[in-house]
This record gives sequence, C-alpha cells and structure tokens, in this order.
Amino acid sequence: MFTTPRLVAIALCAALNFAVGNVVYLVKLPIYLDSIGTILCALLLFPDRMAAICCAFIAGFIGVILSGLVINPFLPWFTFSVLAIVLVSALLTANATDTFRAQPLQPLPFFGKVVIYGIITGIVSAIISAPVVVYLFGGVTGSGSAFVVAFFLKTGERLLEATLYAGLTTEPVDKTLQVLVAALLYRATPREFIAMLRPAQPAT
Amino acid sequence: MTPNGAIAFGLLVIAAAVVARDVMSLAVILAILLTFALASRRSILPALLWSAGIVLPLAAFMALVWVGIVGRAPHEIAAGAEGSRAAAVAYAALVCLRLFAIAFAIQALFLHFAGWTPLAFVRALTAPPIAKKLLVLTLSLIETILHAIDRARTALIAGGIITRRFSWRNLRHGWLLVQTVWLTVVVIAIGRTRDKWPIEGTLARLDGTLHAAAPRLAIADLAWGAAGLACLIAAIGLR
Repeated sequence: MFTTPRLVAIALCAALNFAVGNVVYLVKLPIYLDSIGTILCALLLFPDRMAAICCAFIAGFIGVILSGLVINPFLPWFTFSVLAIVLVSALLTANATDTFRAQPLQPLPFFGKVVIYGIITGIVSAIISAPVVVYLFGGVTGSGSAFVVAFFLKTGERLLEATLYAGLTTEPVDKTLQVLVAALLYRATPREFIAMLRPAQPAT
Repeated sequence: MTPNGAIAFGLLVIAAAVVARDVMSLAVILAILLTFALASRRSILPALLWSAGIVLPLAAFMALVWVGIVGRAPHEIAAGAEGSRAAAVAYAALVCLRLFAIAFAIQALFLHFAGWTPLAFVRALTAPPIAKKLLVLTLSLIETILHAIDRARTALIAGGIITRRFSWRNLRHGWLLVQTVWLTVVVIAIGRTRDKWPIEGTLARLDGTLHAAAPRLAIADLAWGAAGLACLIAAIGLR
C-alpha cells in the first residue's frame, strides 16, 4: 500500500495542511482551511478506497501533530475530526473525481457536488468536534463562532447543544471552501503524478 | 533525556491537565512543568510568553462570552440555576489554566531539545521506520512549499497579477498563487521520486540513517516519567 510515490503524496498533503493551515491561523482568518491536503490526498488515491482512507488519515494526522507542535498546541485534539473528514472524503467526495477533472469544466455539476459534499463534510466534522470544543475549550475556541455559541447559550441551550449548533452553522461554510480548493488543486494536478499513485500492476 | 522519555512525560502531563478538575491539581501540574522546564538549563521566559500568547486571546474570548454575555457557568445552565458572574469567571479561569498547561508542556519539551535538528530528533525516536521516514519527508516538503510560496509570490507580484498589500486584485487572483505553489511542489516531487532519489540513493541512505540504534530510555526519562505519572494520579485523585 505504501509505495514511494504514495509516501511522497502523504508527505506533500501533510505539508500542504501545515502550510495553508498555518498561514490562515497566522493571519487570523475566521476559517480553518487546515484539511485541504487531507481531502486532496483522498481524491488523489481514489479509486483505491482503503489506500485513500489510510494515506489521507496519515497525512491529516501528521499535519495536526506538526501544527500542534509549532503553531497551535490544541489541534491534535481534533484527530477524530480528521478521521471523520477522511471517511467522508474517501467514501463520498472521491466519487466526484471524474466531475472534478472533466474537460472542459462543467460548472453546474462541479460546484453542485462541491457544495453538497462540503456541507456533508462540515456537518460530520461539527458533530465530531463539538465534544472536544466543549470539554477542552469550554465551548469557546477564539474564533468568530464563539459569538454564535454565546447566542445559543443566551437562548437557554446547554453548552454541548450550543456548541453543536454553532459548529453546524460555521463548519459547512469552511468545509465547502476546503472541498472547493481541494477539487481545484486535484483538477490542476498533472495526470502523470496521479498515475504514479496507482498500485503497481503485476507483469503479464 | 531521550525524545522517547520526553514524549512519554509530555503525554502524561497533558493527560493530567485534561483530567484535572480544580485549580489545585492544575497548580501541581504547572509546578512540575516549571521544574521540568528549568531542568533544561535554558531561559524559560520565551516558553512562558509563547504559551501565554496562545492562551490570552482565548481567555479574552472566554471572558467576553462567559462573563460578559452569558453571565453564568455551564453547570449552572445545566441545573437551570440563575447563576453568577463569579462562577463564570472561575470556570473560564480553570479552562484557561488547563490550556496554558498544555501549551507550556509542549514548549518545555522543546527547551530540552533546543540544540537538536529535527532529523536528529526523529532519528532518536522509537517508532516504526515508515513513520520516521514520513516525518522526515514531510518536514523536507514543508521547506519546499515555503520556498515555492516565496518564489511564486515574487513572480506574481513582478508580473503585476497580485500586490504586496491587501487588495481586491489579491482576492481575485489569490487562487493563482495557490495553484502555482501546488504545481511547483508536485513537479519537484515527481522529479525527486522518478529521477533524483533513485540515482542518488536518497531513500536508502535515509533508511540507513533512521535505522541507526539509539538508546530507548535514559535514567532521567524514568524519573520524569514517574513525575508525570504522579501528576496524573494527583489529578485523578483530586477530582
């Protein structure tokens, strides 16, 4: 499963997660964009779903560990969110690889699938992240979503519900953007690189 | 101290900080972390400032949300009680102290290995060879991506496509920068994987370097491991 080109792809996607996530974190944008490499890794390794799940998870895990060591020490707590994003990407989003690479670009199917898969990824990610946000951060993570949490708390919701609702309002937007960037990068990736990631065929 | 022992100590202390339910437990954990940081014989001020810099914005948000807007603690909301701002302050302080302990634990670990290169650190780890190889490749490609960002940004600014400062043009054409960086690193990766590494035997040399025998644990690791375990037990016992 772990051929040299696949190891390079994992490292490349982990490095992409680290670089983009850190740029976004440092310029304090109200979004995360730290899973683009994870989603892209799943797209690159499709249709080998098992390899897509394993490699994308490793890429995401290395990304959060390195970012956790260098920039944001609380990121590794979201490892289960990474796993959830990987599963959605490998089992759902990757089904659209043909649409993502179609020549010429067909805007309606392309953006339609990006939005649908982005929203699904966001909902799943919000559900998995909510307990971590509640337990570790007390529901407030220092982003704009804190005010959404405050709004729901003020209306009488309990902390877990308030955090979950806040996640459900903000995560789909962030994850749709991430799926869009991943799909565009997948579209721009040379065919030669994708061919290198296919499993070696036995000689006949 | 070896990297294995440092990571084990760090994980134990972080687990203790997460389990801790009151200020007393967190104070014990922070005291042990301070001792650990001082044992590195380096200045701990930058580590303290970095950790505070990470937690202060969160503390400001928490104070605003819990004390300013909500005005009561989560357990009071759950119980349907009217609650008080004092309870909200205590809750926010506890969460911030826990986050500070986690951030400082990582910085204290860095202090012990400040003179090490990333390759030397990864080499001394007891981990599957493929995991060590992946870590080294990722660190190398992060450098490649950062160089690619620099080069692509300069080229696009010189071409008048994006600007140095924030502008609408950057918003419109920022995507070109992302695409250029990605294509640059992919082409570099293809070149290395297909031509450069096989000719130079890079991966075989890397395997040889990473397989070199290293001590798994030292005496100091056991002592700090016991201290970390004591933190965890104290945090669980004081719940």
